Amino acid sequence: MSSKTANPVMHSAAWRISLWATLAFAIGTLLVFVMLHRFVASDIQRRSDAWLTGEVAVLGDVAGRTPKDRLYSRVLSEVAELASREVPDKLRSNSNENDSVFFLQAGDDGTLKLWVGSGDGLPNLAAIRARKFISDVPYDLNVQGFKQPFRVASVRLDDGSHIYLGLSEKDVIRVLNNLRFRFLFLWLLIVLFGSVIVFFVTRRMLGHVREITEAASRIGQSDLSSRVPTGKRNDEVGHLALTLNHMLDRIETSVHQLHTITESLAHDIRSPLTAIRGKLEIVLSSDLKVEQSEQIVSVIDELDRLSEFLNTSLDVAEAKADALRLSKTDVDLDELVRIMIDLYEPSLSEKGLRVSLRSAGPVTVLADAALLHRVIANLLDNEINHVPASCTICITLGASENAATLIVEDDGPGFDAEIGPQVFKQRVKRRDSKGHGLGLAFVEAVVRAHGGSVTASNRPDGGASLSITWPREMEEKIDVSNSLALVNG
Amino acid sequence: MRLLLVEDEPEIQSFLQQPLANAGYEVDAAKDGRTAIQLATENNYDVLIVDLGLPDQDGIDLILQLRRSGVSSPVLILSARRSVDDRVKGLEQGGDDYLTKPFALAELLARLRNLLRRNPATSEEATRLRVLDLELDFISRRASRGEEVLNLSPQEFVLLTYLCRHAGRVVTRSMLLSEVWGMRFQPNTNVVDVHIYRLRGKVDTEGRDPLIKTLRGIGYVLKDR
Repeated sequence: MSSKTANPVMHSAAWRISLWATLAFAIGTLLVFVMLHRFVASDIQRRSDAWLTGEVAVLGDVAGRTPKDRLYSRVLSEVAELASREVPDKLRSNSNENDSVFFLQAGDDGTLKLWVGSGDGLPNLAAIRARKFISDVPYDLNVQGFKQPFRVASVRLDDGSHIYLGLSEKDVIRVLNNLRFRFLFLWLLIVLFGSVIVFFVTRRMLGHVREITEAASRIGQSDLSSRVPTGKRNDEVGHLALTLNHMLDRIETSVHQLHTITESLAHDIRSPLTAIRGKLEIVLSSDLKVEQSEQIVSVIDELDRLSEFLNTSLDVAEAKADALRLSKTDVDLDELVRIMIDLYEPSLSEKGLRVSLRSAGPVTVLADAALLHRVIANLLDNEINHVPASCTICITLGASENAATLIVEDDGPGFDAEIGPQVFKQRVKRRDSKGHGLGLAFVEAVVRAHGGSVTASNRPDGGASLSITWPREMEEKIDVSNSLALVNG
Repeated sequence: MRLLLVEDEPEIQSFLQQPLANAGYEVDAAKDGRTAIQLATENNYDVLIVDLGLPDQDGIDLILQLRRSGVSSPVLILSARRSVDDRVKGLEQGGDDYLTKPFALAELLARLRNLLRRNPATSEEATRLRVLDLELDFISRRASRGEEVLNLSPQEFVLLTYLCRHAGRVVTRSMLLSEVWGMRFQPNTNVVDVHIYRLRGKVDTEGRDPLIKTLRGIGYVLKDR
C-alpha cells in the first residue's frame, strides 16, 4: 500500500475538521477567559482600593482627633487592628499574626512613628520612602521580605505626618491563581472532550458520505438499477443521496431506452433474417444445379455476415454509451488464449503465420466470457487479415496484482501511418480490408466497458503491437485493509 | 414425436413447420403464451420450441409457468436478443437449450435431437465408436480407418468424435465451435473450416471413400451409409 493509505485517520476529512474546530474553539474560549480574568482582576482591585481609601480616611480622621497622648498609639493600633479584620476577599487566615495588612504612621522627617503589622515595619517604610512621589490613589508597593506586593493608600495628617495603610495582594493573587488554574483544567477538559465529540460526529457524518461514494462507484461499475443508501436523514447528506438517486433514475431511463432501441432494432432485423435464411436453406436442400446452389450459399454467407455486423455494431454503440450489459464471471485468460490459439492455429499456419505464446500461468480476470472470446477472436482475425505470410505473431500474457496485460505483436508492416491513431474508430480499415472495420473498435469498446485500456503502436523494429490492460478486481481487499486500519487507528 | 412450436412471427412459424414435419415431428403451433400453456397442459409434447419475444408474456416466464404446471419436456429457446441473459443460461443448465436468431435449420434440428436424446452415450459407445470403416478407441484415444491408424492431434480426435457421434446428421460450424472449443460466437474467418480441411486430409486419404462431406452454407456431415 502506498503512503496515501498508510494512516487513513490522519488523512480523513473528519480529522482535519475536528482539528480546526478544536483550534478555533480553544482560541475563542481562551480569549473570553482573558477578558473575564481582566475584568475580575480589575474589579477586585477596585474593591480593595475602595476599602483602602475608605479605611485610611477613617484612620486619618481618628488620628487627627485622638489627642497625642499615651493612648494615641494604642487607639490607633486598635482601630487598625479592627480594620484589618474587615479585609475584603480575605481568605482563611491560618495564624493569628496578621501579615496581610499593615498600618504605618511616618513623621514628616521620615521616622517610623507608629507601626501595626507583622515585623518591625522598617522595610515597609524604606520601600515607601524609596518612592519618588506620593500619590493620593492607592499604588503597588514591593516590600523587601515579602513575596507579594502590597496595595498601599496614604493620607497626610495636619501635623505633616503620613498614615499608610497597606493591604497584601497575596489573597488577590491567590484568588486569581485559583481562577486561572481551574479555568485551565476545565478548558483542557472541554477542548479535549469537544474535539473527540466533533471528530466522532464528523466521522459519522462523513461515513455516510463515504457510503454514498462507495455505493455510487459500485453502481458506476456494474449495476445501474441499485441506488445509494438514503436513510431517513433530511440533512445535506440525505439530499446528496437523493440527488444522486434522481440522477441515477435518469441515467437508468436513458440506458434502458438505448437497450430498448437496440433490442427492438436487433429483433426487427433478425426475425426476417431468420425467415429468409431458413427459406433459403429449404431451397438449398432440394435438388438444384451447382451454380444455383452456389449463389444461394453465398447469399446465406452474406446474411450471416450481416447479422454478425449488426450484433457487433450494436455492441460497439452500447459500449461507447457505457451501456453494455456485462454478465461477469471468472475467466482464465491463459486458458482462453491457449484454446483460441488452438482454434486459430490451422488458419494461421495456412496463411504462413507462426504464433508463439509467452505466459507465466493462469491469469484470472472478471469478465463477460462471451465478449472476451470475441475480443481474442477479433485480435486473431485481425492478424490473419492484415499480416502477410511468413510473419510471426507473438502473444504475451502478463499479470500484476491489479491488472492483466495481453500484448499481441507481429513483425508485419505495422499500422498504416494514415490510420495509426484512428485504428480503434468504427469503419476505419485498410483500403484492401474486406471487413466492416469494426473488429478493433469492438475490442476497444469491450475492454473499456470492463474498465481496461487498449493501445496500438508500431514496434520500433517494425510490426504492429496491440496492448490490452485488463483490470483485476481488488476492491474487496482494499476495503478490508481500510476498515482494519480504521479499527486500529 | 410431438412438438409444440411457440412463435409469434408467422413467417418463422410457417417456414419451420415443413422442415420439422419432414424431420418426423408432429408439430402444433401457438402464437402466444396463453395458447401455449393451454396446449402444453392438454397434450403431452416430447419437446417444445419457445421464442422469447412473445406478444403477451416473456418466454422465460412462460417456461417457468409451464414447469410449475407440471410440463417437464425439454425446451429449445429461440432468442432474437443479442446478449443471452443469465436467466436463459440458468435454464440451459436445467437441461434446456437455446439458439439465437438467425440460426441454421440444421442446427435447430440437431439441437432438438440433442434435447430428445436423454441418455446420450451407451456403454459400448463409451469405449469404442464405429462408423463404417472408421473406428474410434476412447481408451487409447486412437482413430483408425480400416487397418490404418490415423495420426490425429488431440483436438482433431475430439472433432472427429463429435462428427462420429452425429454421423449421418448435419453439424454446423457454430455447433462445432460450442461443442469442441466451448465458444459461442461467429468468427469472421474460416477457422472451423480449416480444422475440417485438415481432418479430412487425414481421414479421407486418396483411394478411400470420402466420409466428411461439406454442405455449403449449412455445415458438415459424416457419412454413415
